Amino acid sequence: MAGLTVGSTYALVALGIHIILRATRAINFAQGDFVVLGGLFALSFVSLLHVSIWLALIGSTILGFGLGVLYERFILRAAARVSEGAVMIASIGTVYVLLYGHALIWGNEPQPLPAFSTVQTLQIAGATVAVQSIWVMGLLAAMLAALYVFFERTLYGKAIRAAANDPVGARLSGINVNRARSISTAISIALAAFAGTIVGPITLVGGSNGVTITVKGFVGAILGGLASPIGCTVGGLLVGLIETFLGSRFAHDLVDPLVYGILLIVLLVRPQGIFGSKRIARD
Amino acid sequence: MKRRLRVDLRLQVAFAVLVILFGIVRAHDTTMIQAATFGALYAIVAIGLSLLLGNVNLISIGQAGFFAIGAYSVAYLTASASWPPGVSPGMQFALATVAGALVSGVLGLALGIISLRFAGPYLAMATLAFGAIVVGLLRYAPAFGGVSGISNIPFPQFGPVALSGPNAYWYAWFLVAIAAGSTTALLRSRIGRAFEAIRNDPLAAEVAGIPVRRYTIGVFAFAGVLAGLAGTFYASFLGLVVPDAVGVNVSIDVLLMVILGGSGTVSGAILGALIIAFSNLYGHSYENLRPILYGVAVIAVAIALPHGLVGLLWNRPNARTGSAREEDAAAGPVALPAAAPPPTAPWLEVRGISKRFGGLLAVNDVSFALQNGTITALIGPNGAGKTTLFNAICGVVRSDQGEVLIGGKNVSGRQPHQIASLGAARSFQNARLFGDMTVAENIAIGAFASTRVDARDIAAVAAEFSVGHLRDTPARDLAFGDRRLVELARAVSGRPGLLLLDEPAAGLNASERERLRRDIIGLRERGMTVLIIEHDMQLVMDISDRVIVLEFGSLIADGPPREVQSNPAVIEAYLGAAS
Repeated sequence: MAGLTVGSTYALVALGIHIILRATRAINFAQGDFVVLGGLFALSFVSLLHVSIWLALIGSTILGFGLGVLYERFILRAAARVSEGAVMIASIGTVYVLLYGHALIWGNEPQPLPAFSTVQTLQIAGATVAVQSIWVMGLLAAMLAALYVFFERTLYGKAIRAAANDPVGARLSGINVNRARSISTAISIALAAFAGTIVGPITLVGGSNGVTITVKGFVGAILGGLASPIGCTVGGLLVGLIETFLGSRFAHDLVDPLVYGILLIVLLVRPQGIFGSKRIARD
Repeated sequence: MKRRLRVDLRLQVAFAVLVILFGIVRAHDTTMIQAATFGALYAIVAIGLSLLLGNVNLISIGQAGFFAIGAYSVAYLTASASWPPGVSPGMQFALATVAGALVSGVLGLALGIISLRFAGPYLAMATLAFGAIVVGLLRYAPAFGGVSGISNIPFPQFGPVALSGPNAYWYAWFLVAIAAGSTTALLRSRIGRAFEAIRNDPLAAEVAGIPVRRYTIGVFAFAGVLAGLAGTFYASFLGLVVPDAVGVNVSIDVLLMVILGGSGTVSGAILGALIIAFSNLYGHSYENLRPILYGVAVIAVAIALPHGLVGLLWNRPNARTGSAREEDAAAGPVALPAAAPPPTAPWLEVRGISKRFGGLLAVNDVSFALQNGTITALIGPNGAGKTTLFNAICGVVRSDQGEVLIGGKNVSGRQPHQIASLGAARSFQNARLFGDMTVAENIAIGAFASTRVDARDIAAVAAEFSVGHLRDTPARDLAFGDRRLVELARAVSGRPGLLLLDEPAAGLNASERERLRRDIIGLRERGMTVLIIEHDMQLVMDISDRVIVLEFGSLIADGPPREVQSNPAVIEAYLGAAS
């Protein structure tokens, strides 16, 4: 259960990376730092505006969405005119802006976020389950369902997918590709903010591990299949489980090297991931 | 490219003068000298990454991993182990330096081999993971002091001379000079030109005879050695090394330096390193603000200055002169180099080649041998497997069955550049030129595998194909017809015995096609053996000595043009549908 809780962050990060990759053909290295930022947004909602954690979750997600629009409009889109490499570089520059930016505003120390409910544990079939973990899984499931409905069942979601698959064709069909990219990015960053808030009560919010979250999310995406949304979700959850398992067996400092080792091995042995079928071309 | 190298060299000289003056004038300013020494160490790592990123288009966010290996080699060997026993500390430092550089180089080789598998974001993540793994293992390893690292690393002492203070400054910049000198020499050699070709189009570079894999791995190893070397002195200069000081953030820092200063140049790497090193000096009171500014600067540079700050100096759009056109006329007609002397065996023989893609049998048991000094056309409907057969011959795809013999040598399993060096050249369906390189440089790459070609031959080839006046034009600015001509010239410049042309007439107008017809016949007169894929039936019937027809991957007809033209199977499969 603890593994799935950690993994839900990675799953949402992996999905966010997947969505931006589809839209801009570049990896957003700042994804994990947006997760951290989302948690801090929620913290400010709770501590400054004294709203409930539920309202803070909604507020943080909406702020993430707005930030995503700005991020795409002023950084990613401009860099995309130069090259895909420039998008990647610009996103790495963004890592520093966010990482040290939130340290400047909220300080360097991680802080606690209030829980989603006052009940701490539940007895289910004789086992003690942390209620917070149930909330995380439930919220993750709700978000995944919402994403599924949007991308698969609404015309607008389909238009965004079309714009990502074939920008020229989509443009010829009257789809505003720039807006589609903007909304894709906004959804991706909103997912990050959402992830940062739902796990905040367990993991604390703030701190400097944004890059680590990005890489672990990417490990999940590669493990499950970067080209497949289901693969990204399952892969992210798997990474959480693997990490928790390794943590119970090995010294704490060995866990991250082992998880990154998985990334290298999967990249070498099955670069398309468990669920992927698309070949990765060396282009 | 030439302009970039020229500006880069001048800037390096300027930096050298600056460093020497600074070292003499500020020798007693401990803070400044220390900052400049750190700047030098960063510069060494950055030079390697700049080569990797700007010249072969491979990203690494793991350079700190090599840096860490260098630093820990010196720290462990000189401080923890005091190895080898019984020699002076200076000697221990020297040996540890070599060991650190070597280990980094070996790991660089390993990472280089991995880098062949994927590029772009995947490589970025893989290298990031590499750096994180190194740091993670160092944090864990009790032998290396775990999280608290190794301290009390002695200053290297050579007799009365200790490498501290100003001496450290001079030593560190001496290392920069080695790194800069070797990198510059590499870039100015023909290998540097090959790097540029690889950066533009790895496949076309490989087919032109450049050992792309070997060079890519080599650059990775070289960049690894440089980063390791910088690490070796970092440890003894600081006297202390902890895992978190050589972590992923250092890799990102170095990447930012290179982007800021300008990737692909040595001076850009040095400039970026100095900017960050000295801003660290002045930014102490704004500890979180400084990196934010780096971030903003990098975003701005990524968007507005793809070649970094140094790029401002060489990347000006300058007027291309057309004066070379007169030179062409003045030089007079120079004979195109003749083809390599024919081997006794056929230049090309394929025996029972088959290639399957999933459920599709693209090439099915095809066999033929070309007669030397003739033109053979390979025709067939779209999707008949013609280009796949070309790719199998060139080694771009590996055939499932059968063998290819070039001049009697079995080349099955060989890499494309090895096949090219045997005297086989090809053109691509969609003229794959090296866009950033000039026409002359493109043509020169074609002769990469051949040592018998000099600058005059290149000029002669350019003139022969009527692109002499475009010699200094970047290939990306060429008109379509000229692109085709330049690609043909590139394929021919290495004096191949065997020439594979993939739809050279596609998209050409009538007069260009007539030119092409004469050019190809001219190549035959020079002794080249030509295999040409073409859809233009008139051209095929006109120039071919023999026509081979493929349908659904199988050879269905083979003979003189007239005979093939009247072959009922061909008419049904191909000509019938066309006419």
